[in-house]
Amino acid sequence: MILSDLLDAPVRAASGDLLGYVVDVRLVLDGPLDGGILVTPRVHGLLVSPRTGTSFLGYERTDVRSPALLARWLRWRHRGTFLVRWSDVAAVGGDVTLAQDYRRWSPTFPETVHQHPTT
Amino acid sequence: MKRLLGVALGVLTAIGGFLDIGDLVTNAVVGSRFGLNLAWVVVVGVVGICLFAQMSGRVAAVSGRATFEIIRERLGPRTAGANLVASFLINLLTLTAEVGGIALALQLASSVEPRLWIPVAGLAVWLVIWRAKFSILENVTGLLGLTLVVFAVALFLLGPDWSELADQALSPTVPGDEGHAVYWYYAIALFGAAMTPYEVFFFSSGAREEKWTVKDLSQSRLNVLVGFPLGGILSVAIAACAAVVFLPASVEVSSLSQIVLPVALAGGKLALAVVIVGIVAATFGAALETGLSSGYTLAQYLGWSWGKFRRPAQAARFHLTMIIALLVAVAVLMTSVDPIKVTEFSVVFSAVALPLTYLPILLVANDPEYMGKHVNGRVTNALALVYLVVILAASLAAIPLMIATGAGS
Repeated sequence: MILSDLLDAPVRAASGDLLGYVVDVRLVLDGPLDGGILVTPRVHGLLVSPRTGTSFLGYERTDVRSPALLARWLRWRHRGTFLVRWSDVAAVGGDVTLAQDYRRWSPTFPETVHQHPTT
Repeated sequence: MKRLLGVALGVLTAIGGFLDIGDLVTNAVVGSRFGLNLAWVVVVGVVGICLFAQMSGRVAAVSGRATFEIIRERLGPRTAGANLVASFLINLLTLTAEVGGIALALQLASSVEPRLWIPVAGLAVWLVIWRAKFSILENVTGLLGLTLVVFAVALFLLGPDWSELADQALSPTVPGDEGHAVYWYYAIALFGAAMTPYEVFFFSSGAREEKWTVKDLSQSRLNVLVGFPLGGILSVAIAACAAVVFLPASVEVSSLSQIVLPVALAGGKLALAVVIVGIVAATFGAALETGLSSGYTLAQYLGWSWGKFRRPAQAARFHLTMIIALLVAVAVLMTSVDPIKVTEFSVVFSAVALPLTYLPILLVANDPEYMGKHVNGRVTNALALVYLVVILAASLAAIPLMIATGAGS
């Protein structure tokens, strides 16, 4: 499976109801060193937007509200976006099917994860 | 003292660097057909490029990333790839226009057929890109480009009816013999000439070349906020010269010799020599900037090593891209296509492509992950949103207007 198989794919609950579309895939770099040089990225979860498969342009990660009109418009288009953990994904075919008791997480990063430029 | 000199140099090169073949041709054509009735567009364009250059310079200095790295990170490879194709092709079109402009200016000086000058111009641009230091190529062409001030001098020598010019500029109307669609088509062309995407690629990548940090922000802001408006005044002077000489006679400017005719009429051979030096410098400088931009955009998108601060052997694909872009530009010009026409199309397509780079820069300039505390302030964002609307409107209207007006004819 490659990333393109997931992006834009419809997401369904176990019952078959359409929940939304995959707008992004969140990766975590906390695994063992791959060949001693690079950490292998691990899929943490999928970002699911209920109405549209277009990009959220990064606004899901933070609470940034500016520039006002753009931020408001993007947030409105993607209202209800949530994160599902990869462990809650039951099957990936053409569609992504979630487990029966999947949980919706907030898509924002915890505050401590923010990287600020050192300069 | 050294700091003061640095500021003066920065401002002066910004003035000289503002003007390129697009500004020269579009302002002269517009002046000859509409007088100063479109001068307000230059003001809108100059404020816009100040805003855009200031934002992209700040993003480059603070985050240490150049424009196309950011575009790819923010939009994802697919959308950014489409963005790259459009931006690269339009930049190539602008490069072609600039190289053609060098050849036309050299033809004016020498009476030698431009097709003999085109390969020479292409070769000279390549040699400078290959060999010269970044700071030298930027400063020399910028300072020599300042000789275009002769357009402002010529305007005074022509002794125009100032009240009429002021009347056109301050209460613009569509002249009786021109349609509204043509008026707005040229408004977009003029806007695209002032706000060309390559200026931003060059500006932000140049910030990386010169290793800007947060400390350099105030100087870069000063260069932009003083230099570009003064460059804009020169643009209006070019339009006013054309308005004084050609508008009463209903002559439409369609060649470089017509663009410089008002200067020759006002100041004689000496002024003509000065203006030719200015045009060669301005087009040569812009050819360097667009040439470099072709390498910058592609290399940044694909993650190749890039930059003049590396030796060519260490950034081979970056240099190869620029060589190929220059060869394509020369080949297109050798088909005897009129560089003035190429220029007219390039400024309109610049306006079409502008949102593709403007939007990602605006988003990243607001993102504390990249910018820390140097995110856009409220005033900048308010202005930036107004310009987002202007840029989108110009971009969407450009091609329909081009078709409806037969490219302004």
